Amino acid sequence: MSQTVTPQRPSLPPMNPPRFGLLVYRGVLSRPALAVYSFLLFIVVWQLISALIVRDPVFLPTPAATLKTLHHYLRTPFPTHGSTLIEDTGISLVRILIGFACGSSVGLILGSLIAGVRVIRAMLEPFIQMIRPLPPIAFIPLLLIWFGLGETPKYILVAFGVVPIVTVATAGALSSVPRDLLNTARCLGATERYIMVHVSVRAAIPGVITGLRLAMGTAWTGIVTVEFLAASSGLGYLIYQAGQNLQTSLVFAGLTCIGLLGLTLDTIFRLSARALDPTSR
Amino acid sequence: MTSIRRLLRRRRADQGAARSKTSIAPQDRTAVGLAADGISKRFRHRGEYVEALHSTTLHLAPGEFVCLLGPSGCGKTTLLNIFAGFIKPDSGMVTIGGQPIVGPGPDRCVLFQTPTLFSWLTVKNNVLFGPRSKGNLNEGIRREADALLQRVGLDQFADHYPHQLSGGMRYRAALARALINRPSVMLLDEPFAALDAITRHHMQDFLLELWEEFQMTVLFVTHDIDEAVLLADRTCVMSPRPARIIGEERSKLPRPRNHELVETSEFLECRHRINVLLDRDRS
Repeated sequence: MSQTVTPQRPSLPPMNPPRFGLLVYRGVLSRPALAVYSFLLFIVVWQLISALIVRDPVFLPTPAATLKTLHHYLRTPFPTHGSTLIEDTGISLVRILIGFACGSSVGLILGSLIAGVRVIRAMLEPFIQMIRPLPPIAFIPLLLIWFGLGETPKYILVAFGVVPIVTVATAGALSSVPRDLLNTARCLGATERYIMVHVSVRAAIPGVITGLRLAMGTAWTGIVTVEFLAASSGLGYLIYQAGQNLQTSLVFAGLTCIGLLGLTLDTIFRLSARALDPTSR
Repeated sequence: MTSIRRLLRRRRADQGAARSKTSIAPQDRTAVGLAADGISKRFRHRGEYVEALHSTTLHLAPGEFVCLLGPSGCGKTTLLNIFAGFIKPDSGMVTIGGQPIVGPGPDRCVLFQTPTLFSWLTVKNNVLFGPRSKGNLNEGIRREADALLQRVGLDQFADHYPHQLSGGMRYRAALARALINRPSVMLLDEPFAALDAITRHHMQDFLLELWEEFQMTVLFVTHDIDEAVLLADRTCVMSPRPARIIGEERSKLPRPRNHELVETSEFLECRHRINVLLDRDRS
């Protein structure tokens, strides 16, 4: 299997076919496969504990029972508020997406301003740092006084948790673009405006996406809490009601929905990060 | 497995770079000179002023290869940054080809200690960054980029991302990206300091080839005496506090040069004279 070698540039050596054992090893221990194993392990442990040790469906239902309840209420409305699991999931998802979109837009703008304008940095940064440790939940009474029981306070509460995280992440990512990288672009002939869009922003994207991923976690905390306290629909409300009625398997079904949604949204972020940043693994 | 294969491929590309000698430099260009006259620059550090340059004068003839040699913190990078247009001097004049320097421009390419490639662009798109940012990307430029990549031995890696390349290859990609603008001046700030010794030797020889091919005026900042002796037409020795040029050594070593030179007695004599300059400053 020798290849012709030109005197100027030797061609690449022929690839050795991978050994069969190596192929199996790669398939069995690939990253998605490992994720599935850990998930299966969790289910098995849960099943063992609930069926053999606890043996009380109100205290800890089995995964099988949870799955059955989940399947049942997907289409059947829950008596306390008359909506199905799919509808509640949809309602919570819309709330979180609107709140997250508003909050992250504000955060991106504030973060860019902090990174770009010295005066705004000096004015805004202490303010953001003061707001950041305040738990958004503490504002629920205020939001109820100002906006009542409608959808607006839910969006605002979600956004409230998102803004500081995205602001800090954006400002940090933009300010840590290496100066040499910007100077390189300058002496290649790029205008300041081109550099801003095609170098600064582009180099900051991985850091910003990490910030968005962190903020998504806070957004879920916010939406579930506000639905516990001040809502009559949504996954948080459903979980709370199910708990009140000792429908533990429905509590777990609701938690599963949140977990799956969270995983989906995070996967979207992770995939976009990988598409935009070739160095990410 | 994969890594060995990649390594082999890199090694061969390295050899390929040294072999292809087809010149692609334009013939209708002439180098221009650089001049700094009475440059002073102070920086504020914790409320105190630190003098980075004290009325320094340095002239580079068109096509000259000048090394700026000195210990860390002697202001050599500050002087280079002033030539690049990144910072403005407090007093004095800097000119390129007789025209005052007001800011960075594509006529002077700058290479830093790291290759500062854009990690999100492929090697080819890194090379095309300059033309694309100025909006004059056309078929001719693309062909020129291909030719440059071939010249620096990276034509097989055009679609790779920087993190997939070795240190030397990254630097050659950075050179190709700078050369596509046809700069008349090249400013290098301790460029090969982060490379291993063997790769550094290759890059020094390669830089000399490119310099002779592209007819550029080169200002090369370094703290490596051997590197300065090997490369320069003229070595200017700088000293800190107050930062200034304390002497220069005009090289009589023959051109074209490569690493075989370092074992000759002329090389050692030249190095000795520079050492004397540095020692005199210390005492």
